[in-house]
Amino acid sequence: MNFLQPLMLIALPLMLLPVIIHLINQQRHRTMPWAAMMFLMTAKRMSRGMARIRHILILLMRTLAIAALIFAISRPLSGGWLGSIGLAKPDVTMVLLDRSASMEAQDLQAGESKRSTGLKRLAQLLEQGDYGTHLILIDGATGQLHEVDSPKALLSLPMTEATATSSNIPGMYETALTYLKTNNSGRADVWLCSDLQESDWTVESGRWDALREEFALLDGVHHFLLAYATPPSDNLSVRVKNVLRWQRGNEAELILDVMVRAEGNTAAIRQVPIEFEVNNIRSVVEVELDVRGASLKGHRIPIDGELTSGWGSVGLPGDANPLDNRFYFVFSEPPVRKSVIVSDDASIGESFRRALDIPPDSRLQHQADVVSVNRVGEIDWENTGLLIWQAALPNGLAAEQIQNFVNSGRVVIFFPPSQQNAGDNMYDTRWSDWQNPSDGQLFNVSWWRSDADLLARAESGDSLPLNELRTYRYRSLESSGTTLARYGADIPLLTRINTDRGGAYFCSTLPTAQYSSLERDGVVFYVMLQRALAEGCRALAEASQRDAAPDALTDREQWKAVAPEGDTVSVSQRGMHAGVYRDETYWVAVNRSETEDTAKAAGVEAVDALFNGISYRRIDVEVGDTSSLANELWRIFLIAMLVALIVEAVLSLPSKRVESEPIGDFAAAD
Amino acid sequence: MALQLKRDYLNQKVLERLSTLQLHARLPMIGNVSGKHRSPIRGSSLEFAEYRKYVPGDDTRRLDWRAYARNDRYYIKEFEADTNLRLCLIVDTSGSMGFAYNGISKLDYARRIGGTLAYIAALQGDAVGLYCAGTQFHKEIPPKRSATHLSLVLDELGSVEPSGETGLVEVLHQTAERISQRALIIIISDLFFEPEVARNCFEHLRFRKHDVAVFHLMEQSELDFEFDRPMRFVDLEGGEPVLADPIIIGDQYRRAIETYIESMNEVIRDTEIDYNRICIDEDYGDVLAKFLLSRTPKKRA
Repeated sequence: MNFLQPLMLIALPLMLLPVIIHLINQQRHRTMPWAAMMFLMTAKRMSRGMARIRHILILLMRTLAIAALIFAISRPLSGGWLGSIGLAKPDVTMVLLDRSASMEAQDLQAGESKRSTGLKRLAQLLEQGDYGTHLILIDGATGQLHEVDSPKALLSLPMTEATATSSNIPGMYETALTYLKTNNSGRADVWLCSDLQESDWTVESGRWDALREEFALLDGVHHFLLAYATPPSDNLSVRVKNVLRWQRGNEAELILDVMVRAEGNTAAIRQVPIEFEVNNIRSVVEVELDVRGASLKGHRIPIDGELTSGWGSVGLPGDANPLDNRFYFVFSEPPVRKSVIVSDDASIGESFRRALDIPPDSRLQHQADVVSVNRVGEIDWENTGLLIWQAALPNGLAAEQIQNFVNSGRVVIFFPPSQQNAGDNMYDTRWSDWQNPSDGQLFNVSWWRSDADLLARAESGDSLPLNELRTYRYRSLESSGTTLARYGADIPLLTRINTDRGGAYFCSTLPTAQYSSLERDGVVFYVMLQRALAEGCRALAEASQRDAAPDALTDREQWKAVAPEGDTVSVSQRGMHAGVYRDETYWVAVNRSETEDTAKAAGVEAVDALFNGISYRRIDVEVGDTSSLANELWRIFLIAMLVALIVEAVLSLPSKRVESEPIGDFAAAD
Repeated sequence: MALQLKRDYLNQKVLERLSTLQLHARLPMIGNVSGKHRSPIRGSSLEFAEYRKYVPGDDTRRLDWRAYARNDRYYIKEFEADTNLRLCLIVDTSGSMGFAYNGISKLDYARRIGGTLAYIAALQGDAVGLYCAGTQFHKEIPPKRSATHLSLVLDELGSVEPSGETGLVEVLHQTAERISQRALIIIISDLFFEPEVARNCFEHLRFRKHDVAVFHLMEQSELDFEFDRPMRFVDLEGGEPVLADPIIIGDQYRRAIETYIESMNEVIRDTEIDYNRICIDEDYGDVLAKFLLSRTPKKRA
């Protein structure tokens, strides 16, 4: 329990005053000669039961009355659950704030979001109580740690404003843990305000086990979770899945794929207006929503034929979460999708070239060049989106150029060299020997990752036919990367290296017939390469869509905010807010990630289980509830004191005498 | 009879006030001289008793000739005999009788009541005796009619001191046996023993055809038991002292008193004794006047 006047608790021993007075009174007895001893002895025998209990109760009530008075003067704080904790003053209070887009879900009547009400309530609680010598904020958008002067300052910091980012909750706890361990903090209260969104929490992650074990080793750390787990009752979110500028002669148009997702108790079928804004021209389209939402594919918006790049937005009417009602997009002429194949075998290089030269869409321009290892220096790195490296692993300048290539957002796929010389390692990965099956056996793919990356399902939901792939030879791989497909238990077919940007893959076989059926079957080979090419060429485009994140705008220096108009977001916070930014010819649209559109919250039981074995308390709150987390309890204690005094008075009342026959009326006895 | 009283516990004014009243027995007494009390034996007093049939040998002077004239039968007219009584004062001299809260002790009060009654009885020619009932002090003065005997009784009454446990129960039983003829037995005590024990004593006395009167003395503080702090109660009869908080046990004490008084009332109803509960802060003159008047026989119609 927290107190506003904790010094008054020093007076708590005064509650023993009635007992002390009683004991002193016992010692102050007077000696008196007495005749009617027979009645005295009878009375003493009778008083061993209820009378003694009554007297003990009287003493207890007096004690309670004094204790309640002292507590009332000490001005205790409680919010029901808080009063039962009985915590001492913390040395450090850490506030972990989930600033993800889903935290902007509002109570429509109060007009306050989960983030703002949670923050206000926390600030009020900490202002009333004692937050120790350090008040630390870890904001979910950047995951960075900030020392805050006072709880009130939390309300005005840019680090506590709404963002379109996602939060990395385990990452925030890791930052908190590092701080506590580094500073050897003693008693610490760690408050987290979150809506328990599943994608932010990743409760299945193994990071939680490590966190739990580490926190269990720290004494005096108490975790509090301010949980806004209730999803918004009626919310629509809009997202542009694809933007394409299409030029036909002098006329041009934008072709948009728009998806509207419905969450909560949305009415079965209804019409919703979708507002499109391109080049300051607005148009509205009514779409019919079902329970899950609606999808608007291939919506065409005519634009000026000379407008080769620009931006636009799609908007929905206001609802529970205003942050997911608008989605920004940018467009530009699609770049030439250029790929380079470095191969030590001309026939193998040709098979790659054929797969990459054929565009999946006639509106796209593809260019694929095959070069030998000796001509690596001639590669046009700036305008290439995908590099296929089928040769001994490079070193020196070539290796450095490939790393820069990947770091700028492009993609490289390494295939094994056909000759024995495999070269040095690259990305801590090296080729081993070629493996041949014994007795005509084949290597079949036993597992592949079908939910994301190069081998993901098609848009129709169908899996790629990797089970039909036949591999006759493969080259062993020593790698620390993430396996995307494998033979048997642990033989990798395709591995992705963890990089900050771009992509680096290692495939352990070759497409030609003497190695595998990749080229012959075609589908897997073509899709894999085209996806890699599309990913790599995304960095080549003048316009790109990005998820809001602290590093969303770090690749260029001179980004200027284009939309929304009048945006007052500080430069340091820009990448975390939805909007359109421009740096000369480059455009970027920053929006919330797709995971923020789903209101799916992790189960409270699953969240509670993450804190098993450590001091933890979850406080379930509603977004509309703006009441204080901690209320002053002095009234309750004052009432308790009055009740105790009344009970004491009732217990102290003398027993009713029989009026009709007073004991003392001896003369009238007979 | 004129007595020079020097006993300080007797009050001259009270004696003069009560001198107009007489101590009557409620039952016929058997005395040895003529007196003011009824006797079960027929005598020659002016108080008509009954008619009975004449039998040869009866004194013809006592024939009621008027009855003969009316009925033509002989009837002897009989009159009651007037006799004196034996007044036996039994005073409890146990330690508890020394209890005094506001100056006067129960034994002082007993002295005044007993002495005054002895004086009144002697004044009307009755024999007076005194029995002091205590385990440590036991004195027995059989009833006699002389003035010197009264002086002896009064002196003895003035000299008794409260001490020890009560011997009243034994004294009552012994007195019931020793006094062979009917007597007026006046018991002055605080009766601090169980009512059932008192019942036995009173029934024993009544069985021996004694007229029993009881002055039950108590002090008001013993009844109220209203003290505001813990007390160490020292037993006046020599028992172990008791440390008690009257606030805690006050109700139980008063309940015990009520139970005791209820039981005592029942004993009184059953034994038909003349019972007087006295709080010793009452004026003893008033108490005695009331007592004497209550015993005055009603005029026959």
